Amino acid sequence: MPSGVSETLPALDFTPTAATLDRVLTFLDDQDDGTASDAALRREALARYEALPAPGARPNRGWKYDYAALKFDELRWTSGRIEMAAIPSRPAPKPRPEEAGDLDRPALATENAGGLFFVGATRIDAPSNVDSRITVLPLTESGKHDLAASLAGTLHEIVDWRADKFAALATAFENCGAYVRVPDGVQLETPIQIVFASAPDDEAVFPHVVVILGKGARATVLERHVGDGDPFTCGIVEVHAGEGAELDYAVVQQTGDAARVFFSRGARCERDAQVRWYLAELGGALARTVLSAKLAAPGARAEASALFFNTGMQHVDLTSGVDHTVGPTTSDTVVRSAATDRGQGRYVGNIVIRPKAHGSDASLRDDALLLSKHAHIDSIPALEIAANDVKAFHGATVGSLDEDALFYAGSRGIARGEALRLITLGFFEPVIARFPGAALRDEIRTALDGKIDEATEIDL
Amino acid sequence: MSITRGLVARDLRVAVENKEILKGIDLTVEPGRVHALMGPNGSGKSTLAFTLAGHPGYQVLSGSATLDGEDLLGLPPDKRAKAGLFLSFQYPAAIPGVSVANFLRTARMAVRPEDLNPAKFRKLVFDKLDTLDMDPAFLGRYVNDGFSGGEKKRLEMLQMAILAPKYAVLDETDSGLDVDALQSVGRSVNALRESDEGKDIGFLLITHYPRILKYVPADVVHILIDGRIVKTGGPELANEIERDGYDGVRASTSSAQAEAAAARA
Repeated sequence: MPSGVSETLPALDFTPTAATLDRVLTFLDDQDDGTASDAALRREALARYEALPAPGARPNRGWKYDYAALKFDELRWTSGRIEMAAIPSRPAPKPRPEEAGDLDRPALATENAGGLFFVGATRIDAPSNVDSRITVLPLTESGKHDLAASLAGTLHEIVDWRADKFAALATAFENCGAYVRVPDGVQLETPIQIVFASAPDDEAVFPHVVVILGKGARATVLERHVGDGDPFTCGIVEVHAGEGAELDYAVVQQTGDAARVFFSRGARCERDAQVRWYLAELGGALARTVLSAKLAAPGARAEASALFFNTGMQHVDLTSGVDHTVGPTTSDTVVRSAATDRGQGRYVGNIVIRPKAHGSDASLRDDALLLSKHAHIDSIPALEIAANDVKAFHGATVGSLDEDALFYAGSRGIARGEALRLITLGFFEPVIARFPGAALRDEIRTALDGKIDEATEIDL
Repeated sequence: MSITRGLVARDLRVAVENKEILKGIDLTVEPGRVHALMGPNGSGKSTLAFTLAGHPGYQVLSGSATLDGEDLLGLPPDKRAKAGLFLSFQYPAAIPGVSVANFLRTARMAVRPEDLNPAKFRKLVFDKLDTLDMDPAFLGRYVNDGFSGGEKKRLEMLQMAILAPKYAVLDETDSGLDVDALQSVGRSVNALRESDEGKDIGFLLITHYPRILKYVPADVVHILIDGRIVKTGGPELANEIERDGYDGVRASTSSAQAEAAAARA
């Protein structure tokens, strides 16, 4: 536990069974602190978790994990309000060595409009300078703040937990979360940060993040997963973008080598609203993410930009989905993935254009780079088009390193290993370039660079 | 033993996919001199360029290649560049996602680690851009990615100017260029030759057509046919090619060879 703790709550041994849920509910009743998920909903969600099949069979022989056989026995479940004297400083990115003549890369400092910091499921309360125009609260306090009306239509409504096994699990055992509201017309210049740091023990963390943007509001949310611990995290993010609103929502996942991080993130875009998802899966043993957007009214737009680079034994299982319910609506999905060592990846890209979505435009592009013999990435696009007069593009590649480019760089004095680094980082650049903020882009470049150092089989 | 200065090939025999392409090349490019290597398609010009630069797909059957006495053939491509060799590619590879600025910086740092200073490097790059009349916007683009043929050749010239090698092999740098682009390449080479850093560079100008030699006059011209240098002479040899074509040279050399064979008999 972090220092300065004034109150701690006991942990429960965790297995996702009805008995555990009963203990969780008793525990929450004792705390008497209105939680977002009520008992009946939690029970229903657990029943759905048990009823739904494990997602997807193993895509190939190298894939190590079986969702149907996930082990929970060593996890613990906690929920707490812990006051701390001071917020631990945000984990700073590894400083980038001063580059000679930085001709093409101006730096940009990042300041926050507000944020929440969790260690495990425990919120660390600290002085923060939240922009007074917005609301940022722990979701578990939503009862105290009478947010029911504000949450209606968003909480438990955007991510379809009834059809998503792990979203159902997250709903049943939710133990922390964030509520962010940006009112009509408020446009933030700096991001809101929500940080999940791993707890020292093997804590199960079930976060639920809700972001609501009013008409014409603009914001950037940065969700980070950091720390050297190896938690099991299973969470939900639900976004509602009101008419004309614009949200950039970026996720940087850098958990420990044995961590398992599961998230279902969904957005609903009203008329002329835009939601842009950014996802950098960099850490963990197994990361499973569903990233979806429902374009609910004409003029709505969704973008998704995702990258992962699996080294060692890392597995990433990514599904993106865009639902064009009406037209004209637009979407643009770009995924870049690489794997080396025994890294495994699967990307499923879904685009649905429904009968009423005339005049819609959807683009889906994914490229994968395999750097070792045992690395594997599957790409499974699925376009379902039920309307006429639409544009839909899909392109996918899976390739290895370009030997011509390696020789070309070699002929310029760049040794093979360094050329490999350049070309691999360059491979990610088109998707990194889409991330918001030069500081974040540089942080991701540095993290990828570090992963190249860690990889043992990067050269064939 | 004195060291032979120059980019030197001795009896160099090279095969590609087990087919012998170069059948014994003898060539010495001295510092500060321009040698033109001319030949028809398929004569082995690019094979020589790739072999000197160390492309893994070319098997050296026999012979040697040295740079100021240093053996090149045992070195990987990057060590050859560090030794002072530069190859301007006929078809430069694209490196998507790597900016020209980053690539130039990495290459210069690799080849000349001792003199890297951000401010000086920046000045060097902008000076060379200016000399080559190139838009600084080039720096932010990805290396050869979506470049036109002319832009690719200009980037080759920019890299040559920034790396300032001891010997530069220009593999058909003139091919596919219009007159303006050709003049620009010619100006680039000449500007480098007139600079302090570039006055001692030895050039091997590989070309199919004599026209680039109007912009970059050669001191020595070699004719390569079917993997052998069949004729070596002064700049006038290029005019001969222009007048009679390679068939003319082929005919005269084969008749000369026939006469020589007859004389031996």
